[in-house]
Amino acid sequence: MLRVYRCLLCLYPAEHRYNYSQEMASVFCDACTDKRAQGLVALISFYFRELAGLIQGAFGEHLQGLLGSRRWTLFAFRRFHMRSEFRFPKSTTALMVIILAGVVLAIEKAKAIQASLPYTHPEVGPIRPAQFTFFPTIALLFLCFYAAGAIGWAVLFALRRSGVHRLAAVSADATQK
Amino acid sequence: MEPFPLTEPVLLILLSLAERPRHGYSILKDVEKMSEGRVLLSTGTLYGAIRRLLDDGWIDRFEEDKSSRGRQAYRLTAAGRRNLQLEISRMRQLARIASLRVARKET
Repeated sequence: MLRVYRCLLCLYPAEHRYNYSQEMASVFCDACTDKRAQGLVALISFYFRELAGLIQGAFGEHLQGLLGSRRWTLFAFRRFHMRSEFRFPKSTTALMVIILAGVVLAIEKAKAIQASLPYTHPEVGPIRPAQFTFFPTIALLFLCFYAAGAIGWAVLFALRRSGVHRLAAVSADATQK
Repeated sequence: MEPFPLTEPVLLILLSLAERPRHGYSILKDVEKMSEGRVLLSTGTLYGAIRRLLDDGWIDRFEEDKSSRGRQAYRLTAAGRRNLQLEISRMRQLARIASLRVARKET
């Protein structure tokens, strides 16, 4: 897992990697050992949190390098940042799985009933069950969001590599001279 | 520039360092303990905040002498402590106003 973590650290700008990657990997190792002792669920949620944190952090670092502003990540001027005391109960996950199983079962039952009924309206045409269009649409939406995110990140990364963010400093120097 | 309010992770990191200098993993654990498990920082979030706090001069970095692994530790600077105190007084004032307003509504 440490190898994967080190690979993901490559998403960060070179300067950040140089200064903090070794330390981050060391903290990740310590936290990993700790979470492993707490059990599989804690370890998996820790991996997900780390993955999300790394992607978000790398994006933030690139964005900050490009925009040259640190306010948006350090200070809560976008919204009130205090989190509520509400904790998502773990039993809800089990209940959600049961509900999902119930929905799938109901769909299968409905399909069986539909197949057994005679086809009465030939002019309307066959009605497609919702699950045939719903799940692919959701998947397509997710795909579109991820693609948009990836494209945004790539554009920012390319701009950062091109050094366009330094132009303001260069023109300021030129006017001073 | 008026630098307040701070985000909750940043506030908790500063509070953790206000007690004593700490290294990264110790901050992570202390933030979890202080928030009673409500705020779980990832290493990405932690080091993003640390980098910005270092840039602003609110904390500084030094090498721990006693550590066999030569780990980097962080401590609050005078400017960081002053800003933290300002943020705490801002929150105290906010809490006072909130409790007054809520009490007035209840009566």
